[in-house]
Amino acid sequence: MNGVRVEGLRFSYRDFKIENISFEVRKGEILAILGPNGSGKTTLLKCLAYILKSQGCIYVDSFDLRNCNRRELARILGYVPQMHVPSFPYRVIDVVIAGRAPHLGFRTPTKNDYEVAMRTLEKLGISDLAERPYTHLSGGQLKLVLIARALVQEPRVLLLDEPTSNLDIKNKILLYRILRDISEDISVILSEHDPSLASFADKVLMMKDGRIVSFGKSSNVLNEKTLAEVYETKLHVIKNNGRVHVIPAVD
Amino acid sequence: MVSMKFAQSFGKSSGSLKYKFGLLFLPLLFFIIYLSVGRYHLSIVELPSSLFEETIERSVLLNIRLPRAIEAMLFGACMGVSGAALQTTLRNPLVSPYILGISSGAAFGASLSIALFGAGYFFLTQPSAILFALIAIFLTLSMAKFRGQFSPISLILAGIIVSALFSGLLSLVQILVEPEKTQTIVAWVIGRLHTITWGDVFTSAPLAIFGIFGLLILRWRIFLLSMGDEEAKALGVDVEREGMLVILLASIATASVISVTGIIGWVCLISPHMTRFLVGSNPKILLPSSLSVGASFMLLADLISRTLWTFEIPVGIITTLIGAPVFLYLMRRAMYEWS
Repeated sequence: MNGVRVEGLRFSYRDFKIENISFEVRKGEILAILGPNGSGKTTLLKCLAYILKSQGCIYVDSFDLRNCNRRELARILGYVPQMHVPSFPYRVIDVVIAGRAPHLGFRTPTKNDYEVAMRTLEKLGISDLAERPYTHLSGGQLKLVLIARALVQEPRVLLLDEPTSNLDIKNKILLYRILRDISEDISVILSEHDPSLASFADKVLMMKDGRIVSFGKSSNVLNEKTLAEVYETKLHVIKNNGRVHVIPAVD
Repeated sequence: MVSMKFAQSFGKSSGSLKYKFGLLFLPLLFFIIYLSVGRYHLSIVELPSSLFEETIERSVLLNIRLPRAIEAMLFGACMGVSGAALQTTLRNPLVSPYILGISSGAAFGASLSIALFGAGYFFLTQPSAILFALIAIFLTLSMAKFRGQFSPISLILAGIIVSALFSGLLSLVQILVEPEKTQTIVAWVIGRLHTITWGDVFTSAPLAIFGIFGLLILRWRIFLLSMGDEEAKALGVDVEREGMLVILLASIATASVISVTGIIGWVCLISPHMTRFLVGSNPKILLPSSLSVGASFMLLADLISRTLWTFEIPVGIITTLIGAPVFLYLMRRAMYEWS
């Protein structure tokens, strides 16, 4: 199978744990992980990115990742963090170039790597930012720069932790369009807070207290019963043209 | 080789092109001025010819000024590169080998060796300095680590604690040894270059150069480490091992020069900052440029220490007098950015 297959993934730290996570995402598909605050979305993404050490099996294109070293993993998995605190005012192009690291090891980037980085910036429509210090970007621009960095890794799976947080509505939709383009030849796994936006994804994985509540096609998973169970709040679900709109029932 | 890569990396960022030659030749310029100026003036034009005649000029140049100039450059280069590497790796512009306690550890290690075995046994002094420098840095890092993170403040505070600890131990050593040794140690602790001989240069150079080149070779990985632990991992970096390697190399370089010069403060903090101001923060350019700036700064500081007064003022005093106000400026700026 082309794509990601996760089997029985477990992780625990102090009194927090995620348990028995199994799912599949094919190449060309987007999976949104949905769940309330503290349900384990970020932890699960960090486990998938091998930033946290977990038990269980992760296969990419039927290839077991357990025997890979860090550099090999970084050529398969690209990771975009939820928050990035810049340390020094590097140029945008230099930050993006960092994504070439798994292909370079201890060698320094060449002209070819700069071209790959520039092409990726163009693809994301931010090539005009290349020479700017990345400490002076808006939240949306910084997010795109971090996505560009993960993309120049040329990964087979792109993992994004709440990519739409801190973005305005226009940028949120723009981001999903970009992800749709990108996902043509890779698998995309992201965490999301907004159930309506999650319906842009092909599949949705609902989490609560570190466990899977529901997993499947987004139009199937996003229903009033499941949402009410997971968020412990009444929500109205309106289906329209295969898209799902979730509206909080305030009264 | 290094200078060529150095030049290439400048070529890519158009704005800093003008510093390309400037920074390469800066130490050379100061080197020539340094050799010529002093109590015994040697004209720059006559410098080369005086090397080949059996004169006082030759003796002054070869036995006094040349080793001293080389040690000054070596010290400045070590401090510039180690400072820049540590600041980048730990994502904290306010740290340096001095702030993190490496210098105090090295000073204690060297004094301990002098107290126990006497001065003049470099094969004991240097390893002892390096050993205690490493003990100091790992103490600082383990104290500062909280939930797997180093906050900017905790690193500096832990550094102060460790520096205080080793300064206290150093004072204890001074009190406990015989009076004549106390004098040797006191004279040694105040950073100075006026007693430097060729012997000192040859003993400190190999490990210092090893450390500097190690860090320069690693500067791409140092850049990746500055993305933060989790992101560096996701980029394929073995964070623990490579971070440790950077700290090890910086400590070895710092301790090996300190074991012959004593503590000359602040150079390691302010030379990377002056460099950052000129060429930006990317370690690809920052590290080799810090080498030039550190070496030039030390030559200038020692030149002032030789010529300012009728007698020599230890160079450590000069660098501290320059460093304190510069650090104040940096602190104010950092506070502004954190608030």
